[in-house]
Amino acid sequence: MSFEPLGENRFIVPIGPQHPALKEPGHFEFVVDGEIVTGASVRLGYVHRGIEKGAEDRTWIQNLYLMERICGICSHIHATAFVQGVEKLAGVEAPPRARAIREVFAELERIHSHMLWLGVAAHEGGFDALFMYSWRDREVVMDMLEMLSGNRVHYSANLIGGVKYDLNPEMMDKIRDGLNYLEERLAHYLDVVNHDETFIGRTRGIGTMTREQAQLLGAVGPTARASNFAFDVRVDAPYAAYAEFPVEMVVAQEGDLHARFVVRILETMESIRVLRRIFDNLPESELVTRVPRRIPAGETISRVEAPRGELFYFIASSGGEKPERVKVRTPSLCNWGTVITLAVGHKLADMPMILAGIDPCFSCNDRLVMVKRNHQDPQVWTWADLRNYGIEYYR
Amino acid sequence: MSSLEETLQRAENLLQPYGQSFNRPELNRLDVYLQRENLLAAVQALLEARWGYLSTITGIDRPSAAVEEGQTPTEGEIEVLYSFCSGAAVVSLRVRAPYSDAALPSICPLIPSATLGERELMEMFGVKVEGTPDTSRLILADSWPEGVYPLRKSFVPAARFSGEAKGG
Amino acid sequence: MNLAIHPLIVLLFFPGGLFLLASGLVFQWADRKLVARFQNRVGPRFFQPLADVLKLLAKEEIIPQGAHRGLFIALPIIALAAALTAALYVPMFGVQPFFSFQGDLIVTIYLLSALTISLGLAGANSVDRFSLVGATRTLTQLFSYEAPFLLAMIGPALAAQTWQISKINAFVGETTWFIVAQPIGFLVALVGLMGKLELPPFDAPEAETEIVAGALTEYSGRGFALFRLSKDIELVIGLTLVAAFYLGGIANPLEFLLKTGGLLLVMALLQTAFARLRIDQTVGMWWRVGALLGLVQILAILAGIYIRQWWL
Repeated sequence: MSFEPLGENRFIVPIGPQHPALKEPGHFEFVVDGEIVTGASVRLGYVHRGIEKGAEDRTWIQNLYLMERICGICSHIHATAFVQGVEKLAGVEAPPRARAIREVFAELERIHSHMLWLGVAAHEGGFDALFMYSWRDREVVMDMLEMLSGNRVHYSANLIGGVKYDLNPEMMDKIRDGLNYLEERLAHYLDVVNHDETFIGRTRGIGTMTREQAQLLGAVGPTARASNFAFDVRVDAPYAAYAEFPVEMVVAQEGDLHARFVVRILETMESIRVLRRIFDNLPESELVTRVPRRIPAGETISRVEAPRGELFYFIASSGGEKPERVKVRTPSLCNWGTVITLAVGHKLADMPMILAGIDPCFSCNDRLVMVKRNHQDPQVWTWADLRNYGIEYYR
Repeated sequence: MSSLEETLQRAENLLQPYGQSFNRPELNRLDVYLQRENLLAAVQALLEARWGYLSTITGIDRPSAAVEEGQTPTEGEIEVLYSFCSGAAVVSLRVRAPYSDAALPSICPLIPSATLGERELMEMFGVKVEGTPDTSRLILADSWPEGVYPLRKSFVPAARFSGEAKGG
Repeated sequence: MNLAIHPLIVLLFFPGGLFLLASGLVFQWADRKLVARFQNRVGPRFFQPLADVLKLLAKEEIIPQGAHRGLFIALPIIALAAALTAALYVPMFGVQPFFSFQGDLIVTIYLLSALTISLGLAGANSVDRFSLVGATRTLTQLFSYEAPFLLAMIGPALAAQTWQISKINAFVGETTWFIVAQPIGFLVALVGLMGKLELPPFDAPEAETEIVAGALTEYSGRGFALFRLSKDIELVIGLTLVAAFYLGGIANPLEFLLKTGGLLLVMALLQTAFARLRIDQTVGMWWRVGALLGLVQILAILAGIYIRQWWL
């Protein structure tokens, strides 16, 4: 016997585009039967900025800064992916010290991203104490990044052919101190995540994804690794200085929310270890190599491991000052499929945590220009038109 | 790296019956040019051999070259890359669809997660993906006009050329 | 302490009315501040709850389409009235309750439930998905904590052999603190109070990450302010009741401050220490653990009474 819900009798709980559980705009519809979710759908695009189109109209250097602004949390990794692709096309390699410094920024960024996530995910589960504490401790990393680059979020550490900022021993000592503190705190959070009864009640066995599902749904990053789907670009295809300073892959077997917490915390601790190794053996060299202004024609694929998973850049050059095509495939996009599938059968109360469990980044997904329907010629809509439209709209 | 070479060689062997031509643009990459009809079979072959995972679907607009006197104009095409990754190796299945018949078969029956990539392809390039389960808008606004595909080269957002933005 | 004041002053200023409202705001502030300090935040300044209420009172009240107008406006008033009335039977601020009769314990608990029910009705009335889910959860939670909470309140009453709050209060003041004599009852009462007040980890009915503000999503302005005020007063009454019954009674204002303040500190700690329980987990916990513990406590008390009677 089957009970197909009738169209009119369905009770839909909308989450978004504006909703307290979402820190960025996205729209989800959960069809519920009482408290049980029986269906889910997603609508993205609320923060679509047309970056891929915009990239075709900017020079390689301008694009570097554009790419960095795809995401506020993982800005460095976007720039790294882009820069490495361009360097490959140009046939140059960044000096060893520059590559090591890229890794330093990438790992610091991972620590800050994972700690941010830890707080958000705990908040979604109504565990505000953990939220406040992890965000307090995250400030330590933010201060490090600010000390290195002068910026908390968009560090702009990359240049095509190298990096901007150097590390000096005093900085490294300061960072080491901070890392020691963070390691201690993370060990404590791991203990909380593993032993707090109410927390385990909200995470264990929730949103469980098997390895096969993870593979079929195209999960990436910590979400996949928590389901024992072991792949990490840093290990499988080392870039930057990951060949010299390798990281160990963290995998878990369970595939539930709890495993995602554990994997991310352990990954953060691994980042701390690799940072220490880099500081102990930082290679000496130049910071930048020369790169021609025109990039030779060609196509390349650049993959890096962003905090949320594999970040994929396809860059095509026609030999000019501007790229022919830049395709960005962000990790969050891959992980949406898992949410929609995993949601069914769970309770409404679990939705925020399942959503947060993949560490979604909406800005990463959505990259446009708003054009009015029925306008005579949508392709010639000037900024002034847009502005008038806005004024008219709210009159 | 021999294992990388082996992985790529294995993919090449798998795809031998379907590909028109093969190319190694970089050490870790294999480009396989396909006819549209062979796309599903090629994906199937990779899946059955458990070769990697679908990383992304990339569309590229290839507009017709400027026509010189006396030549017949060639039609513009949309080229689509289905990139599969396995470790460091990347295999791209490359398919082309002309503007007049911009259609591709859906690979969703084989890989359900391809739906997001296919929807993006439909919205941004105007490629009709036949048989894809969900055709609703994913990224573009609901008020976006039909038949305008922003990632085609012919689409020029005029706003950026108008100097009127100054002074708000 | 027993004061002789004109009933009108009792109702409007002290200890009812204005004074009660003010103390509700103070307790709300203390609760928020304590939780904030436990979470390593700065927390609100002392006038913040008052500023919130004044701001809300000044704001436009929006009545959603489809909601019953009369009910929408009346429910916050009923809730506040219930809370204010309930306070009259409780030894507020260490002053003897001004209205007292045999059975006022039951009336007080009933009035506090009326508050929760009007909250649930308000949610169900405002035809909004979030409100509806919130209302369902509020009422589900009501049914789960009410029985154990009642059992925990009956414990001291049985021991004191009376249903009158003032007499229980006096009786308790003369014997060992019931927190020692009936520790299970105290625990159930305290946690039950947190459930009643929808404080974390029992805040599933207003879990903002799922259903925005739960039953009160559509409320703004005056209605929201009144609901919040009644919640604050409920907090004071609840703390007073638990302190009076289990912490050796409340005989003067100093005792009142120390005992309720101590309880609030414990409650703030409990609020910070746990993740939010899902509504099914809440119900399961109350019926499987809470109600059972409450019953065991009652049986133990009854047995104690019989043994004493037989002994003497």
